[in-house]
Amino acid sequence: MEIPYTFTARKDTGLFNSKIGIWLFLASEVMLFGGLFSGYVFLRLYADYPWPERALPVLPGVINTFVLIGSSVTVVFAWASLKMRQWGRFQFFMGITILCAVVFMVLKGMEYNAKWHHQAVRLDDFTILEGHTHKAELDDHGHLHAFHHGDEIPPEAFPQNVVVVEAEEIDFTLVRAYKPYVEDILAKAKERGAVPVLVDHAFFYGSPKDLPIDPAERKKLEDQLIKSHESSKEAVRFGDKKDSLYIPKGTHLTVDLLDRAKGVYLDARAINGEVRTEVLRKLWKEARKADKEGLPDFKLAEGIQIDPEKHLTGHVAEAPAALNFKFEKPVALHFKRSVIREGEGSSKLKDDTIIKGAVASSPLGLSVDAVDLRWVAQRALEQNKDPKTVIEGLWIMENKEFKEIWERHSAQLATLEAKLAEDGREPTENDRYRIDWQDLVAFHRAHEKHLEADSPEVPSLRPGMFEGITGPNHNIEENQHAFFSIDIPNEKVGFESLFTPKWNNYYAIYFALTGLHGLHVVGGALVLSYFLFFSKGLYRRNPEWLANRVEIGGLFWHFVDLVWIFLFPILYLM
Amino acid sequence: MADSVEEIKKAQKLYILIGLVLFVFTVVTVAVATQPWLDFGEHGFDKADMMLGLLIATVKATLVGAIFMHLNHEKKMIYVLFGLGIIMGIALMLLTGLSFADPIKYGNPTTGDGFYDPDIPEID
Repeated sequence: MEIPYTFTARKDTGLFNSKIGIWLFLASEVMLFGGLFSGYVFLRLYADYPWPERALPVLPGVINTFVLIGSSVTVVFAWASLKMRQWGRFQFFMGITILCAVVFMVLKGMEYNAKWHHQAVRLDDFTILEGHTHKAELDDHGHLHAFHHGDEIPPEAFPQNVVVVEAEEIDFTLVRAYKPYVEDILAKAKERGAVPVLVDHAFFYGSPKDLPIDPAERKKLEDQLIKSHESSKEAVRFGDKKDSLYIPKGTHLTVDLLDRAKGVYLDARAINGEVRTEVLRKLWKEARKADKEGLPDFKLAEGIQIDPEKHLTGHVAEAPAALNFKFEKPVALHFKRSVIREGEGSSKLKDDTIIKGAVASSPLGLSVDAVDLRWVAQRALEQNKDPKTVIEGLWIMENKEFKEIWERHSAQLATLEAKLAEDGREPTENDRYRIDWQDLVAFHRAHEKHLEADSPEVPSLRPGMFEGITGPNHNIEENQHAFFSIDIPNEKVGFESLFTPKWNNYYAIYFALTGLHGLHVVGGALVLSYFLFFSKGLYRRNPEWLANRVEIGGLFWHFVDLVWIFLFPILYLM
Repeated sequence: MADSVEEIKKAQKLYILIGLVLFVFTVVTVAVATQPWLDFGEHGFDKADMMLGLLIATVKATLVGAIFMHLNHEKKMIYVLFGLGIIMGIALMLLTGLSFADPIKYGNPTTGDGFYDPDIPEID
């Protein structure tokens, strides 16, 4: 059957099918992005922390705006070329359009990449430090050994953003233990020549039949098991159908061992669940039978209770929910900060694994490229304190280099304040409390030139848009000296994250909006590529149809441009 | 719609012109945001800069819609469909705005704190 109106217009609407289709789709897109934009507004207005204003490097955004506007022009020219039946010209303009899409995504990729490698730390006093973590490794004594720039960094070094624990014992919760964590612990322990061994004999009775009711009998069975497997140190199955598991004291930890134990534990739990349900059903039936008054269910339920000794003994299985391992002597293990919640003497991994042992000194070594004290100031004002006094008492002021930078900054701020006061204006919070990477570089350059902080030359020493196109570049020799290094003690770190959605709502909505937009760019480029590379046949058969298709693809492309026109100022400039 | 070859040929000049206008507007937006001598309202970013930035963006978006997407001379059906989308989009934004009329006051009345208490350490 021929589908009508694929390239000719319907008389009443004057439109062909796909045009209606694309506009319906664009209408839904308006609602999608509209919802996200209002989400942005909501997050910003209700933010209870200083919003990262103009936090992104502008240049990639500007170039991408030019690129998208340019591609909007070329795609409309590609369509016009088809209308005029100029295939070569169509190829040329469509080619440029797709090239623009590639350039856009490459720039976006560079921008994302810079964010994903940029570290932010909020100290417990709400100072925010931005920068790059140093690399480190554990030396033979289990101490964190940091590499600063200039040092030769071995390939196995890790970003210095870890918590080191002198592990003595480890408790694994069987159902929650996460295999990669276990493997990680095993590998690290092996590196240090240590093996975690089971603290005590463990008996997993996977079937009620295997579990003797009489305690003396049970003890006898267990003693027998211990004796007969004294030297093996390997888990063994026992019982009628080998449903149960015995793990001797001193057995080495393996992933497989935890898996087997978990299997029996889960079986036992399933059996016990069924048994309890059965008992409850029975009790319920009996209660209903005995009930003469016709009590409602909820009243009846009060009297129904399982008596473990009477109902469950002999019918249930029994298995421990956790296994406890220990090291012969404390072993230094390091964990990513996001994985561990450290505590005195006992720390917890995300999978509920408990690691007993002291937390070793594991400072976070950061090459700092920005210091943001706006949150400190905001909180000081909320508590009716003078921000300046609070700032002067901050932990970071103990750092000599930063103190000097802050003094320079204060002098410069005073100059700016005086200058603005002439027009009755005031410095912004950013001016007052944020020292950006450009400021640090400018201060450093001024220092080298022996300039005073409030010298009018200093502002011109700030790097321009083209230096560090996607943000501070720590690989440039000059910057390495401009960015001071700091070791943040473990207990000072309040919250840390790379510049990912986790850091704050701004980055969450930034990645959501630009990520969704980026997917639109990729999708649009794929469709337009199809027109460019696989549509010569259609052009020969029915050029008008192809022109219509390109018009539809073009409409989508313009919409992608239109969304970016709003995204750019909102995310990069405001 | 510019369907005949002559009309399209004529329209091409307009497309280039609009492209240039959009380029210029982009430069203006960036200049307003980054150049001190073009800083309107208070010093630094403030409401005036926001309004100006959004105004320029709206003009740019209108130009793209009207000229590149041919919305300046489209069929009625498309105005109906897309118009509904925009109305719904705006409705969504207004719905979010309703939160400002929330009668439940936030948090501690003495400190004025919101739901979120920064003194409680965060859990990953």
